[in-house]
This record gives sequence, structure tokens and C-alpha cells, in this order.
Amino acid sequence: MKNIFFALVLIVLIPQSSNAQCNPEEFTNQCIPILADGYNFLKGYKIDGRGGEKTKVEYSYVFTKGTQYMINICSPEETPGIVINLFDSKRNRVATSSMEGQILKAIQFPCNATGIYYISYTFEGSQLYCGGSALGFSK
Amino acid sequence: MKKYVVTALVVMLWACDTKKEPSKDDFKEELDEMAESPVEISDENIINILNSVPSPLEISFIIHDAGIVYDKTLLNSENNVSKYTSNNKKAINLGVYGTDLGYTDIYEQNQHGLLYLGVIKELADDLGIGQFFDFQLIRDLTEKSKNIDSLLLVTNENFNKINNHFQEQNRSSLSSMLLFGGWVESLHLTCQVTMQHMDSDELVERIGEQKIILENMMILMDVYGSQDTFIRGLADKLKDLQKAYEGVEITYTYEESTSKIVDGVLVIQNNSSSNVNITPEKVKEIAALTAQLRKEITG
Repeated sequence: MKNIFFALVLIVLIPQSSNAQCNPEEFTNQCIPILADGYNFLKGYKIDGRGGEKTKVEYSYVFTKGTQYMINICSPEETPGIVINLFDSKRNRVATSSMEGQILKAIQFPCNATGIYYISYTFEGSQLYCGGSALGFSK
Repeated sequence: MKKYVVTALVVMLWACDTKKEPSKDDFKEELDEMAESPVEISDENIINILNSVPSPLEISFIIHDAGIVYDKTLLNSENNVSKYTSNNKKAINLGVYGTDLGYTDIYEQNQHGLLYLGVIKELADDLGIGQFFDFQLIRDLTEKSKNIDSLLLVTNENFNKINNHFQEQNRSSLSSMLLFGGWVESLHLTCQVTMQHMDSDELVERIGEQKIILENMMILMDVYGSQDTFIRGLADKLKDLQKAYEGVEITYTYEESTSKIVDGVLVIQNNSSSNVNITPEKVKEIAALTAQLRKEITG
């Protein structure tokens, strides 16, 4: 009986504790100083997939024509398992960090059309569903 | 939950009513009624709009990189700070001075930067958010002008923290005021320098593109204006600007991107493009209306 009780306690607590370990702000703060040289920081984005409950985390930002943007990813996992997808205002995908089976930790996007862009983070092979990201710009 | 006017639902209901052939007058009546019936917009969407507003720093860089000479007279005087007594005015002008600080930083005008830092501290303390602004660090970085990147980084981080704090404390209307003030000041700066450099296609185009941000600003003003008479007044004034922007046409062509990996970074070759159609007369009209609006919020 005792064992069943402990098993139940573990089942209930383990997912919560793994989610509680996610501190996306920590990873966002890690990402800001590692934006490539020449890029000025704009925004930090927290990525918390709540232990797998969420399949994507999305933000939006108005990009300006003639400006280069960089979006990077920081995660507690060696391979991030978090893909950056960038969509234009009409929801056409204009960039993804997943290429030829690799997930890159940063993308560089030269904006040719001012407008709202959706920065969407999805999880591919991530165990922790947790990370941070920074957006920077360069003229 | 916030309210915002949308039309789709009533259009659908009207379209589904097949009992009689609707006349043009019936349709107009329905549309008029729709304009009066508020529909909900989620807090999450409001926060998304707030966070999508671009940093005024981007425009200041464009002005700087266009080779335009620094002009302090374009900025809001630091002496005006004593005029701002309500929280709305303090938040708006915190945004205005934030844009001005970024502008002085980019041009490495340290002494002016320190003046703006002083008034920002005053307004932030009055609004109870002084703890999110690391004044000593920013002051140190301003005095050592070689650290321009660090200065911009810390300043921008601090403003982001203030924004987040307002949102977390259910003071999102102040967040919208902060962003609104910053945006109006950066549009005013762009308009004023463009009036002297009408041959700069880049600057003219940037003014036209503000139509996109104006649309989002209108949403915020409508949402918060329903709860606050001061913001409602701003929304009414913003409508004049919106009307002027009706004559600005933005076209967008999507083409699939290509990409390659360079030093572990995915470098995108963006093949989409956009074009802004705006006349010199329209630039002048927008500049005049923006100056009027800016006078209203900084006066």
C-alpha cells in the first residue's frame, strides 16, 4: 500500500518538478551577450513548453526593411531541441533553424519587407522543453 | 477582458439571414450597429501587440546611418519634466525621453544623455519602477562613451523590464503609454529629419511603413481608451493620423527564402520584398500631424 502511495506521489510530482526546473529567464539572459558582434539587443524571449504540454511558444515583432536580425537559442540541453521558425504577417514561413537534419542555434535574417513577423519556437527531440532566446538587430 | 470592435461575426449573421433579400440600406444599418458593438480581444493578444512594437533605437540608427547630423532641438526638453503630473503623462514621456536617450547615445552625446538619464530617473521613481533602471551603471557607461554597445544593451534591457513589470502588475495601460510615447517621438524625429532630406528614399519609406505600427497603436488606444478618458482623447487624435495614412499604400510580395549555414549560423537569403507608395505631400501632412500629436503629449 505504502509503495503504491509513493508511486502515485512520484507520478504526480515528477512532471511538476521537471517543469519547475525550467527557468527560461536564465537562458534568455545567457543568450543576450552571445548575439553576434555588431548586433544590438532588442528583445529576450522565454521558451517554456511546460514539460511538453505546449507544442510551440510564439512571439511577434515588427521587423524593419533594410535591417538584419539575429535570433539565437540557449537551452540546458547539449542539442537544443528547439527550432526557431519565422513567419511573415501572412503566415508564410520565411526562415527555420532546422536544416538538413540539423537544428542550428542561431538564424540571421535580412528583412526586405517591414511588417509583423511571428517568431515561433517548436520542440523537436527536446527532453526539457525549456530555453531562452534573444533577438538582435544590425544596420 | 478587453473589448475591441470587429465586424466578421455580424457580417456572417447578416449573410446567413436568407428570409429576405437585404437592401443596401439594411446592410449599412448592420455595419453601423457593428461599429457600436464591442467584441472581446484577449489579454494575451494585447500583450502580444505590446511586445511587438519595435524599439525606437532602430529608427535612431537609421537616422544616424543616413549621415544626418545630430540635432538636440528635435528632442523633448528635459526641462518639461515638471509638467508631467499624471501617471499617463509620466509613462508617455518616459517613453519619449527613452527614445531621446537612445538618440543621444547613438550620436555619443554624453552630456545630453546624462540630462535625459536624470529625467528618466525622476519619472521612473515617480511611477514606482525606479528599481528596474540601473542608473549608476548607465551613468558609468554613458561617461565612458566607448561602451556604446553595452550602454544600449543595458538601457534596452531596463526598458524591457519596466514593460514586463507593468504587464505583470496589471498596469498594461501604462505599458501602452510608454510604448506610445516612444513611438510618437521616434516618428516625430524621423519626420523632422526627412523634411530636410526629402531625397532620402529610405527615410520616406520608413515613415510610410509606420502605418503598420499605427494600426497596432490604434488597437491599444481603443482598448485602453474604453477605460480611461485621457487615452480616449489620444485615440481621437490618432484617428487624424490614421486618416492621413489611408493614402499610403504598402505592397508585399512573398518569395520563398533560401538559406546556407555559415559558422554555425543559418544565414537566410530573403527573397520577399515590399514597396511603399507615399507622396512628398503625404510625408508633410504626416509630419505636421505627428508634430501636433507630439506637442500634445509633451506639452
